[in-house]
Amino acid sequence: MAPTLLPGDWLLVDPKALRSASAPRVGELVLHHDPRAPDRLLVKRVAAVEAGRLVVLGDARDASTDSRTFGPIDSPLVIGRPWFRYWPPGRLGRLRSLPAA
Amino acid sequence: MSLMSFLAPRRTAYGHCDIPCGVYDPAQARIEAESCYKIVQKYHDSSDEVFRQRCILVKEERAELTKHHIDVLWHDYFKPEHVEKFPDLHDTCWKASKQASKVKQTVELAEAKKLLELIDKIDSMWKETGGPAATRLQPSA
Repeated sequence: MAPTLLPGDWLLVDPKALRSASAPRVGELVLHHDPRAPDRLLVKRVAAVEAGRLVVLGDARDASTDSRTFGPIDSPLVIGRPWFRYWPPGRLGRLRSLPAA
Repeated sequence: MSLMSFLAPRRTAYGHCDIPCGVYDPAQARIEAESCYKIVQKYHDSSDEVFRQRCILVKEERAELTKHHIDVLWHDYFKPEHVEKFPDLHDTCWKASKQASKVKQTVELAEAKKLLELIDKIDSMWKETGGPAATRLQPSA
């Protein structure tokens, strides 16, 4: 997810943000279970919303393993929306939604 | 509990995508190094200059592959706790990589043999750190 997120970033995740009918929106970050290995959590960006499923892509498009590899993910795999980085102090701040590339 | 450990996240998520397959075996390096060894023998046994030239080309290619496989074990398989168990682990991998370069440069059989011995040393570290069970598919799997 570079350059948006870097290894060692500490994030706040809102588990309720995705419960509203309009969520998640394209361009938002999502924390979700890796469909290939559910114990593993991933952070990706929503590229498209289909019925009950999300297409997620990494920001580091040329290096990312995402829906291009594992396909759209089922909504129940989504845990929440990372919305704030509280560590490191130099990069503290809200995580913004980006227009779909 | 320190403030930092209180503030530290409880769960870890990955944004990067490197998915190591987790399969490692020094046999991969060993086979390439054996190729080098046999090619050096064939080189010395032949008087055909074209054949000898091809031997050198193929040996250099195989030596490069040997080095690659050694490096993968070093970077990806071995973990800090393995270094604690085998304090000479870094030195052995380093020497083996360098020896693969040496084999690439020369047609000395003794150098190719030295490379095999260093790979065998890495192999015994791999075995003693549980490599065969942890990194290879088991027959029933």
